[in-house]
Amino acid sequence: MTALGWMVLIPLLAAGAVLFVPRDAARVPRWLTLGALSVTLVLGLRVFAGFEGAAADADGYRMVTDLPGLGAPSLGIRCRLGVDGLNVALLLMAAMVGLAAAACAREIQHRGKEFYFLLLLMVGGILGAFASLDLFFFYFFHELALVPTFLMIGMWGRGPDRAAAAYQMTLYLTAGALLALVGLVALYLQVPPELRTFDIPTLTRYFSDHPLPSSVQAWIYPMLLFGFGILVSLWPFHSWAPPGYAAAPTATAMLHAGVLKKFGLYGLLRVGQPWLPDAAADWMPVVAWLALGNLLYAGWVAMRQQDLGRLLGYASVAHMGFVFLGLTAGNALGLTGAVVVMVAHGLLAALSFAVAGHLHQQAGTLEIRRFGGLGRSMPFAGATLTMAALAGCGLPGFANFIGEVTVFLGAWQVQELRAVTVGALWAALVVGAVYMLRAVRAVVHGPVPAAGQLGQDIQGWSGRWPYALLLAGLLCFGWLPQILVGKVEPAVAKMLPVDRSGVLAFGATPETDLLDAPSADTLCGSGVGQAEMANSPSGRTAVQQVR
Amino acid sequence: MKFEGLLWWILLLPLAAAVGITLRTLKDPRRSATLSIGAALASFALTLLFWMANGWTTGQVSVTWWKIGTWTATFDLRVDPLSLLMLLVVTGVGSAIHVYSVGYMRGDPGYSRYFACLSLFMFSMLGIVLAGNFLQMFVFWELVGVSSYLLIGHWFERPAAADAAQKAFLTNRLGDLGFLAGILLLHGLTGTLQFDRLEETWPGMIPALGPVATVAGLLVFCGVVGKSAQFPLHVWLPDAMEGPTPVSALIHAATMVAAGVYLLCRVFFLFTPDALMVVAWTGGLTALLAAAIATQQNDIKRILAYSTLSQLGYMVMGVGLGAPAAGMFHLVTHAFFKALLFLGAGSVICALHHEQNIWRMGGLARRMPVTFWTFLVGTLALAGAWPLSGFFSKDALLAAAWERNLPLFALGLGVAGLTSFYMFRLVWVAFGGTGRSESAAHAEESPQGMLWPLRVLAALSVVAGVLGIQPVLQGILPGLEGTHGAGWWARLTEPFHHAPLPAAGGLVAMGLGLALAWKCYAGVAEDPWVERWPALSRWLRNRLYFDELYAQTVIWFHEAWASFAAGVERWVLNGLCLGLIRGGTDLLGQSLRLLQSGNLQTYALVFGAGVALLLWWVLGG
Repeated sequence: MTALGWMVLIPLLAAGAVLFVPRDAARVPRWLTLGALSVTLVLGLRVFAGFEGAAADADGYRMVTDLPGLGAPSLGIRCRLGVDGLNVALLLMAAMVGLAAAACAREIQHRGKEFYFLLLLMVGGILGAFASLDLFFFYFFHELALVPTFLMIGMWGRGPDRAAAAYQMTLYLTAGALLALVGLVALYLQVPPELRTFDIPTLTRYFSDHPLPSSVQAWIYPMLLFGFGILVSLWPFHSWAPPGYAAAPTATAMLHAGVLKKFGLYGLLRVGQPWLPDAAADWMPVVAWLALGNLLYAGWVAMRQQDLGRLLGYASVAHMGFVFLGLTAGNALGLTGAVVVMVAHGLLAALSFAVAGHLHQQAGTLEIRRFGGLGRSMPFAGATLTMAALAGCGLPGFANFIGEVTVFLGAWQVQELRAVTVGALWAALVVGAVYMLRAVRAVVHGPVPAAGQLGQDIQGWSGRWPYALLLAGLLCFGWLPQILVGKVEPAVAKMLPVDRSGVLAFGATPETDLLDAPSADTLCGSGVGQAEMANSPSGRTAVQQVR
Repeated sequence: MKFEGLLWWILLLPLAAAVGITLRTLKDPRRSATLSIGAALASFALTLLFWMANGWTTGQVSVTWWKIGTWTATFDLRVDPLSLLMLLVVTGVGSAIHVYSVGYMRGDPGYSRYFACLSLFMFSMLGIVLAGNFLQMFVFWELVGVSSYLLIGHWFERPAAADAAQKAFLTNRLGDLGFLAGILLLHGLTGTLQFDRLEETWPGMIPALGPVATVAGLLVFCGVVGKSAQFPLHVWLPDAMEGPTPVSALIHAATMVAAGVYLLCRVFFLFTPDALMVVAWTGGLTALLAAAIATQQNDIKRILAYSTLSQLGYMVMGVGLGAPAAGMFHLVTHAFFKALLFLGAGSVICALHHEQNIWRMGGLARRMPVTFWTFLVGTLALAGAWPLSGFFSKDALLAAAWERNLPLFALGLGVAGLTSFYMFRLVWVAFGGTGRSESAAHAEESPQGMLWPLRVLAALSVVAGVLGIQPVLQGILPGLEGTHGAGWWARLTEPFHHAPLPAAGGLVAMGLGLALAWKCYAGVAEDPWVERWPALSRWLRNRLYFDELYAQTVIWFHEAWASFAAGVERWVLNGLCLGLIRGGTDLLGQSLRLLQSGNLQTYALVFGAGVALLLWWVLGG
């Protein structure tokens, strides 16, 4: 079995092992969890680093492996795992966040054994869901990760509303998952009985060779869109997220907001767009405006929040808008940017909820007006929160910027998305900066409140390394984006319905059409000699097609 | 191009210093300062080395940054006379200010953090200078913004400093919104963001594009309006004076705020005549308004801040008039004398234990002679006294206006008069007369570590006009006329030969301003304007109420939308929709429960009614 298989198995095996730890060995579950997730992270790094070296099969998947013993071959269900550009970075990100989340779970004082069991189950489920090449396990692993979320919020959550928040989140997310399930089953039934399979690559090939009639696509796609959309807090189905995250224990908020939530987007990328391309194109304008709802509306609501946890929750809702915008752009730039934002936001959300968790643990509250002068009283936490805020408002140098700007460049090429893109720019550059910097102003800056000590800073290397890990990821992908983009881009290129190499899709009309012929000629010709700075004219392919 | 590798070192050494300080030496102020200053000086030395090896060369080093299909984002280090000149200014002035900071920031609890941010700023600013494409320009554009944010907010516990930092960043972000939209538009139109490729293709496309070309230029100009604090986004710069004074000198006077002008020169080919007209009038208006406001400010740093605004307006106006070389020339000379003036102000502020009100100074000329004389040199250069550097660059701008746009020429002359007026007001009130406060009466000259940068910058402010910057700029940009012949005397008198009227007009305006300042402010203890023209004075003191205007418009607009969205979230989405779903589910459950009452009679009754209904339907129908 390859590193990929062990990556999924080890957290699940460790979860089983935690169950057998005697109750009086209170510290063992934590050490076991940290050990297992460290190994998982090392394996994740190996998978990521070895990605280019591994041979790709005909569908572009690498390191394909079967988890033996799982599945029901008689029903065509096999636990097959594999990576391509869409999930390899998500897996690495999930492993990083998983380890950091476990490290930040010190606040859990009672029933540690159960907590770490659920945490490991959640990480294993997440990794399995992203790595599965089998439709059944793709869904099964997601549910495996989702159920512990509810239990953790209900049992170890904070605040008086935690029961209501857990309840609302459970109902909402279950409804979303159910809707997506109905859509997936409907898709499965569209395949003739003798060809039916749960194998995602086979299904992808089938639906690409035998496109479903538009009428069928038209009723299945909305189920996937809104089912998966609810899981990612697509506007206006987002209201479970902020109270849920505000009530969740630190590790759960980090894992759910950072990683598990991305499953909905991953589902749309892996299944929705490639299997139902016509309907996806039809729904493009609607999704674009909903994405703007995420970006602007959630941003505005975030401006009014009095609680840091809720503010971060709304910020996390807002950031999903970039991914949806990239999805609707549907071209190489937009889709690649969307994947980069998914990875970047995972690290960022985990980082910001980790700091918020520390503050809650120290001060017993996250009410913004109770804080102030953190830069003086807790320099490390203050600096980390400031960096998270700056990354959150799209500052270059952090991975979020790379993703966002790539999404913008892609979205701008689609004529119908211009207005939405301008709105998204406003949300990214102005609204995002307003709520993030106000939070910094209120929490990190200003005089230390007279009420006295808020608590201790994050102490020593042993407390700081999870933050450093997440920040390192953000900065590394922010300055060296090619190690991420280079893996994503080939997978995205395979998804493009019209032009496999270029940047145009969905019949976008480039503005180059406006030009007169001679200038278009110079445009096309001038770059050839300067290969190293060849910045391909976006319209080149289209101009040539027009001729 | 020889020694290309040096360029990477020039760019990355300050970054290495910033990272090193953050990770290793936060608790060791001395080593932090050494690292930061070492990096700045090394960058300066390497720039000199590169320049001496290559001369005013042109070339570009490119590496692929990230790549999607055939689309590539490159990381370029672009060298040409424009960027080399700017490199020399940034690393040179930057080094002087790094050295000065050692004295100024002594004993500050955030000493290491200060130097880390300063190095981060140097890295970002050098990135702007060397950028070879719009994307990279935007990246470093934002990074200088964040260094500025961190440094304005250096004393973040003071609410005023924290607010000023936030305001600076957000105002800049408003400008960057236009900038990024412009970048997207250009990318959509041409498919490239490389400056050199755009320079080849864009001019040919302008006729076909019509007004879109103007819009693209103006959107890029939005970024300049934010970063170079032009009207109407100028409000952040005066507040930015809450930062440490060396920061005001380096970032908010000499380099970062001038980046906008540098960008305009870098992509001058982008602008259509209509766009240039807007640029010119924006600059002119900024120059005039800021100079007017400066006449009634009492805080020494705020006077200089408004002066910076006004001079930046001059430069932008020059670019808009089609004379980017003149604007760029003024940028260079201004970097020297404005950095000098700020460092002089810092020396005064330090000596007076952080007193910034000029009416509580006085008599400093005798107590702080080096500071006074260097400050006077800076003032004369700024006012445009012959033969100091400011005269030549201002004259180049006025000459350009004289040829191209007479109303703006008149405006330029007026601003020159106002400049001389408010600067000599400052000099007379702060340095003349007798000490008007305890600290002013006992002020002592600053230590040598702070005085040497003043002397060096004073020397540069004197001679920068005849160092031969003009021929370099003439070679790459339009807008500087006249021959710069052999010999010092020929160079010194050149403006009077090639355009005598603007040169004489500038000197007359300066003289008038000086005379008026002497008449109003020599030997007075409080501002006579407050009594003589109360309304005018109040408006100018309140900065023409721009902040109030913003509070009533932009901020109000965002707040209103936020309140609206929060209301919708609370009452419609969470209240009505979820309430209806919850209530509907409840109601359904309640009504279904009625059916399951467990009461046998009810069941019998319903059963009987059902049978009757069924019978009636089967038999009757």
